[in-house]
Amino acid sequence: MSDLGDTQTVTARRLFEVSAPVSPDLHLVRSQVGLHLLLPNGNRLFDVDAATFESLEAVRQSANGGALEELLRAKGLDLRKFIDDAPVVDPQVRALSLAVAQKCNLGCTYCYAQQGTFGGPAKNMPLQTALLAVDLLFKDVRSGDRVNLSFLGGEPLVNRSVIRSATERARQVSSEKGAEVTFSITTNGTLLTPEDGDFFEQYGFAVTVSLDGLGQDHDQLRPFKGGQGSFARVIQRVAPLIAQQRQMQVSARVTVTPRNLTLKETLDAFVAFGFHSVGFSPLLRSPTGSDEMTLSDLEMMLDQMVMCGEEFERRVIAGQRYPFANMVNAMREIHRGTHRPYPCGAGAGYLGVSADGDLSACHRFVGDEDGAMGDLVNGVDRGKQVMWLTERHVHRQQPCQQCWARYMCGGGCHHEVIKRGRPACDYIRGWLHYCLSAYSSLVSARPDYFGSQPATTH
Amino acid sequence: MTINPKNLTAQLHFRAAGNPPTTMPETAISNSYPGLEFDFRNIWRRLFVGIELHESDNYVVRGFGKHRNLVGHRLLIVAGDPTVTAVVGPQMPGGSSGQLSDATMLEWSNSMARVLHRHAGRMVKCEFTANIEPQPVPIPDNRRGLLSLQLRVRPIFASSKTTRGALPVIEQSLVEPGELTQSLCSPWQNDYRECACYYWAASRPDYVNVDLNERGVTTGNNWLAKNRDPKEYVPDDFADSRLIGYEDLFQNWQALLQFVVEGKDYSPGDKSD
Repeated sequence: MSDLGDTQTVTARRLFEVSAPVSPDLHLVRSQVGLHLLLPNGNRLFDVDAATFESLEAVRQSANGGALEELLRAKGLDLRKFIDDAPVVDPQVRALSLAVAQKCNLGCTYCYAQQGTFGGPAKNMPLQTALLAVDLLFKDVRSGDRVNLSFLGGEPLVNRSVIRSATERARQVSSEKGAEVTFSITTNGTLLTPEDGDFFEQYGFAVTVSLDGLGQDHDQLRPFKGGQGSFARVIQRVAPLIAQQRQMQVSARVTVTPRNLTLKETLDAFVAFGFHSVGFSPLLRSPTGSDEMTLSDLEMMLDQMVMCGEEFERRVIAGQRYPFANMVNAMREIHRGTHRPYPCGAGAGYLGVSADGDLSACHRFVGDEDGAMGDLVNGVDRGKQVMWLTERHVHRQQPCQQCWARYMCGGGCHHEVIKRGRPACDYIRGWLHYCLSAYSSLVSARPDYFGSQPATTH
Repeated sequence: MTINPKNLTAQLHFRAAGNPPTTMPETAISNSYPGLEFDFRNIWRRLFVGIELHESDNYVVRGFGKHRNLVGHRLLIVAGDPTVTAVVGPQMPGGSSGQLSDATMLEWSNSMARVLHRHAGRMVKCEFTANIEPQPVPIPDNRRGLLSLQLRVRPIFASSKTTRGALPVIEQSLVEPGELTQSLCSPWQNDYRECACYYWAASRPDYVNVDLNERGVTTGNNWLAKNRDPKEYVPDDFADSRLIGYEDLFQNWQALLQFVVEGKDYSPGDKSD
């Protein structure tokens, strides 16, 4: 039986057990504040009493769909589908990421871009290509629309002048069209200058700095090509931006491998340092296979994630800021009941652009036939896009069809799934199960955090 | 056995036990006929602490405490902004422009927008007619005769005591339970009696028990006739007591209305039964 309420310490192993897929039509959660039912269709969450919980548990275990439907109908609920099988049709481009530099000054062994070059020759994106990409981004934009332009690599700051020109052009076109454009960049931080800070601040960039831990932890995973560590350099370069952020937001993204599993310590240090938010992602696939997370590593990671999540709960209840991005996003999505047929916008509203001007499903598929989507000259290859969106729909994924978490997770990162499979389902479900119980507690303790309930008015 | 929706999708799609289908957002009558669900104008009645206004008029309906004497007066100016205006325009299409009214009430949500934006939660100068005014009156040229006093403006939105930010719910002191629906037209009774042609509420008989003589002349009853004898058509002037009126329908529709089958009043025990 699902059981998080009775124990003080929630272990990852326990979470693996209670979050295991039993029925695709419902999931049951026991939290510190009560008993809860999740209906995956619409990701609707309910409080239930003990008797209802027991009946639902019995029906769930018996896998009797008819009995479940009858039981739910008696409660005014139903099993109707909120998401159909149809792929998204002719999505408009809403976001592009430009691989402005397919080269990097770091030599991270696990990098999906293979030290920046994606396995090919090192190259920069010519300005003309970047401007063509901006044209594509605004091609169908109308007044009031919002689009995002992001810069990735390799290390994008290797090609700083193109970033600046493309940003200025995008801002100019957006004001001509009455649209809004936001900018983002993912950088290793080693090349940041004060002038970059001024520029990012001026254009309100979301700056994401890849940092894999503190000192030694980071250095062993993210060394310069010559072998020396990069942590001290990154911190030295990022600190002025942290102090400068008003319009811009400077966040840290931690790629978690078996060699940097001290998440709580990392999170607290980065929050104290002043990052706008701090997020963690497990390394599920690297080109060489090195540092990929195994199930036992993921179990350790989940223990750490829950430890961070519990600190987040305490801080929110105390009314303090604690920008643990994974938790902030999970709370927002669970509260809204976000339900999705895809894990992200890749290949739909979001596309990657290579230095050569080829389009791909996302920034990870640069130069990769698996995610090819046309090019800047001929536009989005609608045939390939339809095929992608049809095949990648979560209803076409296995074993997602049997999983209660399918509309939260959307089937998992396309790149990781296509290249490695789904080694992290237990971890993802365990994390979401914990988040459901944390949400249930927090929405009772601090409804104002979620901003939409009047319970604390009087 | 209880089950309560917790997150937003659950709340949005939940039909509580005993609630009819029309309580769901996707099947509510407001989808087809906005305005038949709530009468939002009721929030204006208690916009100012100490008095109660008409929901669509500047007439003071009630006064509390020291403002009791304001009943029957009209609120003409708030923070310098008028609540009434003169209306000028042509009487007939293409005709010349003239004054149509010297004092037409401005709709509250527009006329009070600036007041709410600047003064919500604060005291504001309110100017009332010097006398009780049953009919609308314009703002006089000489404003010195107006009753002037400071009243507190209630905010439209409730605020969180924890975050002090606005919550997306109506401030509780603005409306009592039931008031948002209290002044709705009683949709079917009013519309059923009043509407004709193909409006949704007008699926009803009109001219019943009709006989046609050899000269092609018909005799019959207005469907609203309280007595079917004599058989004559009583024209509806909204006042003739021989016809079922609005009040009658509100209070006793179930006894007054009867089935009409194939154009004739149906009485139980008929051969056609």
